[in-house]
Amino acid sequence: MKGCWVSVLAVISAAGVARAQAGAGQSTPLDLAGVYQSMPDGVTLSGGFRNSGSPGEISLTASAREQMKAVNLKDDPWKTCGPIGQFRMMARPNTVIEILPAGQLIMILFEDVTHGFMRKIYLNRTHEQRSMTPSDIEIPVTKLRWFGDSIGHWEKDTLVIDAVDFNDRTWLNDAGAPHSDALHTVERIRVLRNGQLLEYKMTAEDPQALAKPYTYTRYFQKIDREFEDDNCVEQK
Amino acid sequence: MKRKISFLAIWMALVPALAMAQSNPAADWTGYYMMARGKDLAGLNVISPNLGKTVVEHLQPWAKVKRESIDAVIDDNGFVCKPTGFLRAYGSPFDENFYFVPGRDRETIVFWVYDTVRSRRIYLNQEHPRNLKPSWNGHSVGHWQGDTLVIDTIGFNDQTWLDGGGAPHTEDTHLTERMRRVEKNGNTYIEIAVQVDDPRTLTSPFTFSRYFKKQNFEMDDYVCNDAVDFYKQWRAEAIEARRKAAAKAGDSQ
Repeated sequence: MKGCWVSVLAVISAAGVARAQAGAGQSTPLDLAGVYQSMPDGVTLSGGFRNSGSPGEISLTASAREQMKAVNLKDDPWKTCGPIGQFRMMARPNTVIEILPAGQLIMILFEDVTHGFMRKIYLNRTHEQRSMTPSDIEIPVTKLRWFGDSIGHWEKDTLVIDAVDFNDRTWLNDAGAPHSDALHTVERIRVLRNGQLLEYKMTAEDPQALAKPYTYTRYFQKIDREFEDDNCVEQK
Repeated sequence: MKRKISFLAIWMALVPALAMAQSNPAADWTGYYMMARGKDLAGLNVISPNLGKTVVEHLQPWAKVKRESIDAVIDDNGFVCKPTGFLRAYGSPFDENFYFVPGRDRETIVFWVYDTVRSRRIYLNQEHPRNLKPSWNGHSVGHWQGDTLVIDTIGFNDQTWLDGGGAPHTEDTHLTERMRRVEKNGNTYIEIAVQVDDPRTLTSPFTFSRYFKKQNFEMDDYVCNDAVDFYKQWRAEAIEARRKAAAKAGDSQ
């Protein structure tokens, strides 16, 4: 997979141009459908686009730092083949995602399905309007989720995703930085170069864990290949 | 897998943007579906409702022996959040569910199943590639026959089961699924008729069908890790109950 980003599409489809131009300057949903791969750090694209920031640079509150001392890195969800949460996942190098518009939803799938899982971005409601699925689950039911509750809207050429109601089972970085269920993330996905490039800005705030909100930026380039699910268990 | 949880699954049909989507019946299937039960099945013909029974009836002798040697409590991947494959999902007694989503170009269909199954993809109007690497969910190609989506799947690994009782299968397993939308009882369903073949495991192919009813509420996330503690407890209790039963039987002799 390494180096795939180098061979990203240089070809711009006429349909893509039309869609992107139609969306520019207005809040009409753009067609984000496609497979994208994040650029490695240290690479600068023409126009000066380059990744910035890293989950490793976050500033923790005193209580979070204390909590972090008790973390056993062997319990890292990454190592145990569990979801690691979008704040950490989207910052990883060469992350491959697939975006699927689906009516009132936008779905984001991760090729590394075990760690990234799948996200649903609801475009037609507020957090308060979220409906819980009736089920026969015998495990504790809570509104808190690994990926929170994500709602989205368009601001011109940018999809803005607001997520709350996270559980506290993921870390914010590889060192085991904790977060609370007060975590609030805002992601801004800006469509560039007629849809061939996405600028992804992730901002996290959590008064209980973060000394101040933190933002990092990643660039995802559209790639011309099918999506192949990468299963963590198979790598063991 | 004998557990009481709600499975979530997503069907995603990847078709071109709007113009192409209109020409692909899958676009009209968009929505959240859950396995229909009880009165929701009125007037619908479910083939082989007891999948485990059907599977056993078709197993070759070696496979029956293997199934009987498997401990469905101890050996189930699902209890430790490893992949379980989708083969047994249709036969689950629980609330299997999925989301069907129109997608993007090149007419690919993506099939995402709950966490321990994860995803499978269906490539429309294509051939299976040669030299497939065996995988948990195999490799699926599909095409439309009128209003029916026909899916052919091969390339499974042999690490999953055909049913919750541990029926084995080999890498020669071949699945044919026929899916169509059905309007009945004031509801919308996706009917899925399945034929399973594995000449090295089965005496003959077997078939079954299931109906998935379109839902009006949001699909929840199911992450296996949420339930792993529950599974540990459930399994420990099952093992303890088994131990007590064995001890009681020993005392009575």
